[in-house]
Amino acid sequence: MSTHKKNRHVGIVGIGQTEYSSHKEHQNQAEMVNEAVRNALADAKITLDDIDCVVHGNMELFEMVHQPDMWHSLGSGAYGKDEFRITTGGTTGSSLVCTADSLVASGMYDVVMAIGLEKLQEGHTTGGITNMADPLWFRHLQTGALTATTATLMIEEFGEERAKKAAMKYRILMDKHACLNPRAHRRFGLEYDQMDDLMNTSPRLVGELRLSHMCSQSDGACAVIFASEEKAKKLCKNPVWVRDHITVHREETFNNFGIERPETTHHYAARKLFERNGIKNPVDYFDVFEMYDPSAWWGLDWLRDFFLLKNDEHLKMLERGDFDLDGKIPINPSGGVIASNPIGATALLRPAEAALQIRGDAGPQQIKKEVRHALASGFGGTLWTVLIMLEKYLDW
Amino acid sequence: MAEYFGAAVADIFNTMEQRFIPEGTKGVDTVIGYNVSGEGGGYWRVTIKDGAIKVEKLDAAPTGCAVVLNAKAETFVGVTLGKMDAGEALASGNLKVDGDITILITVLPKAFNKFTPIVKARTIVETMKERFRPDKAEGVAMKLGYDLAGEGGGKWTIAVKDKTCILKEGLDSDCSVVLKMTAQTFVDLNTGKLDGATAFTSGQVKIDGDIGAAGNSAKLFAKFDTGEEKAKGEELISLKCLPAINQRYATGPIMGKWFAGLKEKKLYATRCPSCGRVQTPPREICADCRVRSEEFVEVGPNATVTLVDIVHYASPDPLTGKIRETPYAALFVVMDGAGKDQSFSHFLNPKDFSRIKAGLKVRPVWAKERTGNYEDLLCFEIDD
Repeated sequence: MSTHKKNRHVGIVGIGQTEYSSHKEHQNQAEMVNEAVRNALADAKITLDDIDCVVHGNMELFEMVHQPDMWHSLGSGAYGKDEFRITTGGTTGSSLVCTADSLVASGMYDVVMAIGLEKLQEGHTTGGITNMADPLWFRHLQTGALTATTATLMIEEFGEERAKKAAMKYRILMDKHACLNPRAHRRFGLEYDQMDDLMNTSPRLVGELRLSHMCSQSDGACAVIFASEEKAKKLCKNPVWVRDHITVHREETFNNFGIERPETTHHYAARKLFERNGIKNPVDYFDVFEMYDPSAWWGLDWLRDFFLLKNDEHLKMLERGDFDLDGKIPINPSGGVIASNPIGATALLRPAEAALQIRGDAGPQQIKKEVRHALASGFGGTLWTVLIMLEKYLDW
Repeated sequence: MAEYFGAAVADIFNTMEQRFIPEGTKGVDTVIGYNVSGEGGGYWRVTIKDGAIKVEKLDAAPTGCAVVLNAKAETFVGVTLGKMDAGEALASGNLKVDGDITILITVLPKAFNKFTPIVKARTIVETMKERFRPDKAEGVAMKLGYDLAGEGGGKWTIAVKDKTCILKEGLDSDCSVVLKMTAQTFVDLNTGKLDGATAFTSGQVKIDGDIGAAGNSAKLFAKFDTGEEKAKGEELISLKCLPAINQRYATGPIMGKWFAGLKEKKLYATRCPSCGRVQTPPREICADCRVRSEEFVEVGPNATVTLVDIVHYASPDPLTGKIRETPYAALFVVMDGAGKDQSFSHFLNPKDFSRIKAGLKVRPVWAKERTGNYEDLLCFEIDD
């Protein structure tokens, strides 16, 4: 394993977002990018002249534009600057962070702007995701990101009643958080007394994966500005520091549902990242986790992997409210991916929202107690994990 | 009658027969029930058969339907008008479907022309306050009365003074002018279906009081927005296109061997020379060991089920562009002779839906004509 040595510290100095919605017919892609860019520049109180390099990311060919970064330069301001395009599927947003952090940490650039975006309304999301599967075998079977394998396994392990209740409780908790976030796309106003009803009557997509469990398809963009320690301290009163990140993926086949199951990429990533940063108990250490949770089943199941928990510890934590906004370790105060999912921006939103929590600028969904240590994740097909650690102080 | 987004639930059902498209429902034979709750709601049953439609208002919850749609009145009207997203209404539980949901997706869009709300006189009058233009009302003081006869009619007074506008039910005795007409004439005038001059000269509109005030009142209010005008004048245009691209993928020799094997009803795997794991379908490299896997072993043909996904969501098959028939089942299996950690996926024979579960043994079902294609292996079925 490499040591992930950084030549210098990197801080987040500006964050800009659009609102997320199912349609953005009032603006084209470049205009939507520009809205996020303007907001990020205003947040950092700098201009495009101060940006040395742009990294741009969205889903490859979801909107059938081969070089979207060229069209989007009208909005990104990348014309005449160095620019890289990142398109690693669902993890695109977190790969943007890893790239921007590496570019600044290396000393190549002092200030780098990462832009993630998607206009899912302009393409076909499930069709697009289906194309990720190996065209020689598996593509004929795949239905985008829709699968009930996790639901089936959780029901097998915890019993039907408890598993279904837990997944729907997680779903409703995410909606409660989303209802606080003025930028969130889906804000239903769900209540816990709807749990039994929704878990039995919401239309089935695949097996026990129901429409209510699944993430939205959203339009929107997010821009985050990264600066070297020296620059960050000059530009910003409270930069948020990127401590470390890890990227783990597997061979691109669905061969891990055999009789014996290999360690998941989530568990592997968390284990390695915490080990090299000396974190013994992630639940105690972190103050917030912004997780890429494409469905309620996945989100709940993955918490066990990410927090290195055993047996039903994650269900117990959910059941006693540990993941609530005022709980032990709040999960997705933003409402997460189930509420807002502009895919190329989705995994960038996770560290962006986590950084706003550290700054105390998250707005109505701000966690009341101090947030010093934040974890953010990215996920993509097939089984690709990125974990990012953010810190309030340069004290690790 | 309670209205939502300018339409009542009953309007939607009452216009169904005239919006029905007989040629869109050839071969359709189905019954759809509606349970619309809340003010203005009720029970309805719609029978579509042989290009004919029957709409019935019921006193109790509909029975004998292939599918029943349950929603609050506001949600039902909102979704019908496209003011609320159907997917989101379903996801939030505000719209519930009992029975075969595919009928709603496949039959309804072809069976009906879109419902547009019937504009009512009351709606036009009630929007006058928001359509009032104070900048045009400098020094104007007048009381405008409307006396609209017939269905949907009523009496209203609109008082304009000090650049403000007040709307009241009923006619004040001191109106500057009262306009008398039928509610329908009033609607037609405001929606551009009837020309003002024609209406006056033909006597469809009677003016009682100050004719000048009546003439001047027009400029005090912005035009009533029927929604159609906006659609016509909109500069936010969406360009639509459907790209279709022919693609061909080289298999390479390893996957080539797999496809060639399908023709002979044989399933080949590769064995990693380093860790020994046997992978299906064969892989060029063992990604764990980073070495070439070139040794083939025959596996199967039978396999053990590890997981089952019953898919209800109809998505396009990107290899053919056709929408898949649902439900279908995708199986994860471990082929006999393959590594225990190595799952392989394929379809399940639909006849086995109700019996399939993890741990069962399955056997392949082969196509009669095999060409070295994924369709050579039709599916797996329970081996008993």
